[in-house]
Amino acid sequence: MELNSYQQEALNYQRPNIEKFGKRNWFFTIFFGLWILAGLYALYLQIAKGHGVTGMRDNVVWGLFIVNFIFFIGLSYAGAIIAGVLHLLRVPWGKPIVRLAQMMTVISIIVGPVFILLCVGRFDRLWHLFFYPRIQSPMTWDVMAVVTFLVGAVLLLYLALIKDFAVYRDAKLNVPKWRQKLYAFFANGYQGTASQKKHIIVSQNLLSIIMIPLSIVVASILSWIFGMTLRPGWHSTIFGPYFVLGALFSGCGVLIVAMWVYRRMYKLEKYFTDKHFINLGYIMMLLAAGYGYFTFSEYFTSWFGSEKWDNEVIHKLFSLKEYGWWTLFANVAGIVLPILIVAIPATRKPKWITLSAFIMVFALWVKRYLIIVPTLESPALPMQDTRMEYVKYSATWPEWVLTFAGIATFLLFFTLISKFVTVVPITGLEDPKAKGQQSETDKTEE
Amino acid sequence: MTQAVSKKSYKEMFRQMLVLTGFLFLLVPSALKAQTDTNTQATADTAAVPVAEEPAAEEPAEEESLISPSIEFLGVQKADNSIDLKVGLKAKVKGQFMNLYKMKVSFFQVMGEEERELGFAITDGRGKAVFNVKADSSLKADAEGKVYFKAVFAGNKAMESAEEFTEFKRARLEITPIKEDSLLSVQVKLVDIGTGEEIPVPETLVGIFVKRHFNPLKVGEGTTDENGEALVEFPLGLPGDTAGNLTLIAKLDENEVFGNLEATVVAPKWGVPVSNIIEDQPRALWSSHPPLWMLITFIVLMLVVWGHYVVIVYELFRLKKEQPKEAADATMP
Repeated sequence: MELNSYQQEALNYQRPNIEKFGKRNWFFTIFFGLWILAGLYALYLQIAKGHGVTGMRDNVVWGLFIVNFIFFIGLSYAGAIIAGVLHLLRVPWGKPIVRLAQMMTVISIIVGPVFILLCVGRFDRLWHLFFYPRIQSPMTWDVMAVVTFLVGAVLLLYLALIKDFAVYRDAKLNVPKWRQKLYAFFANGYQGTASQKKHIIVSQNLLSIIMIPLSIVVASILSWIFGMTLRPGWHSTIFGPYFVLGALFSGCGVLIVAMWVYRRMYKLEKYFTDKHFINLGYIMMLLAAGYGYFTFSEYFTSWFGSEKWDNEVIHKLFSLKEYGWWTLFANVAGIVLPILIVAIPATRKPKWITLSAFIMVFALWVKRYLIIVPTLESPALPMQDTRMEYVKYSATWPEWVLTFAGIATFLLFFTLISKFVTVVPITGLEDPKAKGQQSETDKTEE
Repeated sequence: MTQAVSKKSYKEMFRQMLVLTGFLFLLVPSALKAQTDTNTQATADTAAVPVAEEPAAEEPAEEESLISPSIEFLGVQKADNSIDLKVGLKAKVKGQFMNLYKMKVSFFQVMGEEERELGFAITDGRGKAVFNVKADSSLKADAEGKVYFKAVFAGNKAMESAEEFTEFKRARLEITPIKEDSLLSVQVKLVDIGTGEEIPVPETLVGIFVKRHFNPLKVGEGTTDENGEALVEFPLGLPGDTAGNLTLIAKLDENEVFGNLEATVVAPKWGVPVSNIIEDQPRALWSSHPPLWMLITFIVLMLVVWGHYVVIVYELFRLKKEQPKEAADATMP
C-alpha cells in the first residue's frame, strides 16, 4: 500500500498507540473489567432470584435497563448518520472523526441490546422472538431493526477499515504475529488496485446511503414502542422525529467527549483540531435548539389539552416534590447550556464545549428516564392490588451495578479498539495544505 | 474605529439577548408548574386509580410499631355438606389499607373451651384464603345445631397476631334445574340439618344466579314454602359456554341463623352457545395475522436493506478475488 507523506506521517505518529498497550490502558482495562465482573454478579443474582431484585414491578415494568437501551441505541444511530453524512458529502474536516463515529456506532449497538436482554429476563425464550414473531408488534419491528442495524454497522466500520488494515499489514508493525495475521486477514487482499478501490467506494457509498434512512427508521421504530401505546406522555405523533433528534443530539455529545479524551490521551491535537470541536459544537447547538423545540411542543400540547391522564404525567414531571428538579436539570443542562456555551464566543473553546457536551449527555440520559418512568407510574387502568413498590419505581443496586457495567463495557471496547486500529484513519486523511486549505484549522472562527 | 465600536456593541447586544433567552427558558417549567398546580386537586379527586398515597405529614410514623392486621371471616355451607371457610387479611399501613398476601391463617373448630385445629390456608395476592372443611370432618354442633369456627393469624416480626370468629347453624341448600317444554325453572330447597334430621326451612328468600366471567349475575329469587322449596323462573337466551351450558348458583347470603349457603349445578344447553374464538377479527395488534399492507411494507423494507448488504458482501468477495497474484502469494501464510 502506498501512502502519501501526510498519511505516512499520520501512521508514524500513531504507530506507538497501537504497538504498545501501556500501564494506563492496563489500569483502565482492569478497572472496567472489575465493573463488568460486578455486573456479572448482579446478573447472576437477577437470574437466580428473579426480577424481584430489580425495582421493576407489575406496574412500572421498565426502568434503568430500558433507559440505558434507548440511550446506547441512540448513540449508535447517531454515529451511523454522522459517519454516513460525512462520507457522502465528502466533508474535508470530517475525515479524522469518521472512525470515532463508526466505532461509536458498532460499540453502542452491541452494548445497547444487552440491556433489553437484562430487562426481558427469560433468556431461554429468546429464540421465540425470531421463530414466533408478530409482524404487527412494534417489539418485533425493533428486534428486526436492531439485528439489521447491527449487521450494517459492522459492515460500515469494516469497509472503512479495510484500507487501513492493508496499511497495518504492510507497515510491519511491532505487534505479535497473531495480530499481523489478523490484519492480513481483515485486509481481504486489498492492494490498492484501481478495481479494488472501485469496489470499496461502491460498497461504502451504497452502505452510507442505506444507513442514513435505516438509522432514521430504526430510531423511529424504537420511539413507536412508546408512541404506539395509548399511554399519557408516550402517545404522540412527534415521538419518531423526537427520538431521531434526541439520538443525534446525544451522539454528537458523545463524539465530542470521545474526541477530547483521545486528543488528550494520544496527543492527537494535530488531527482533532479546535475546528473539529467548534464545528461539532455548532451542530450540537443546532440540535439542541431543535430538541428544545420538540420538548417544548411535547409538554405544551400535553399541558394545554388538559386531558386527565396527560395532566397527571405533566404534574409529576413539573412538581418539585416529584420529578420537577430532574425535569429542570434535563432541560437546562441538556438544552440551554449547550446553546449558551457555543453561542458565546468566550466559551466557544474545546474544553467548554466538551464540558457542556458531557453534561448534556448525562442530561439526555435523565430525559430518557423522565420519558419512561413517570408515565409508567401513572397507570390509566386502576390496579386491583395496590402496593407502594408497584406504583413507585426506585432502581435497586443490581440495576445500578448493571448500568455501570454497561458503561464500563462501552468504554472498555473503546479502549481496546483504539489499541487495535488507529483512532484517526490513515488512508482517509488528506493533507489540508495540499487541498489548498489554510493551516488555520487550529484557529477558532470568531 | 466607529466600525469596531458598533461591532462590539452588536456583540454585546447579542450576548445580552442570549442571557435573556436563557432566563426565559428557565421560566417555562415554573410557569407550567404554576398552571398545573390549579389542576392538582381535581386530578387527585377524579383519579380512579387507587394509588397508594404518600402518608399524611401529620400522621405518626408507623414503622416502629407493629402492624395490626384485621381478619374478615365467614363460612359458606355447600350443597355437598362441606363448608368453605373464607378469610380476608388486611392491615392499615401508612394510612392505607393493604391486603396481606402469603400469610398463614389457621382454622379451628371451637366447642366451648375445646378447640380443634382443622388446618391452614395461605392468603393470595388479594389477602384472601379459602379453607374447605369436608363433609366427613365430624364437626361437633351444639344443642341448637350451631357450629363455631375461629380463624387465627399468628403474627410475625412485623405484625401482631389476630383472630376472628364465626358461627352458624348447619343447613343445606339444594338446586335442581327443571326444563318443561320450552320453559326453564330452577327449584331450590333449604333444609335445616343442625340436629341431624332434615327440617325444611320456610319463608326464606333465596337468590338464583348464573356464573359469569367476573361476578355471578342475578336472574331471580324465590321465597321457600313450608316444604323449604321455591320455584324460580329462569330467563331464556343467556349466553353460555361453547356448548351452551350454564352454571346456576343458588345463594342465601348473611342469613341470621344459617349464615351463607350456596349450591351450584350445571344446566346443560340452557344458554346460547357462545364461542370464545373470534372468527371475524377486527384490526388489532393482537389479531393473528398482520394487515397485508404491513406485511408487504415489512418484507420490502427488509429486502431492500438486506439486498444492499448482499451486494456489499459480494463486492468484498470480488475485492479479495481481484488482488494481484504476486501479492496474494506474498501474503500466503
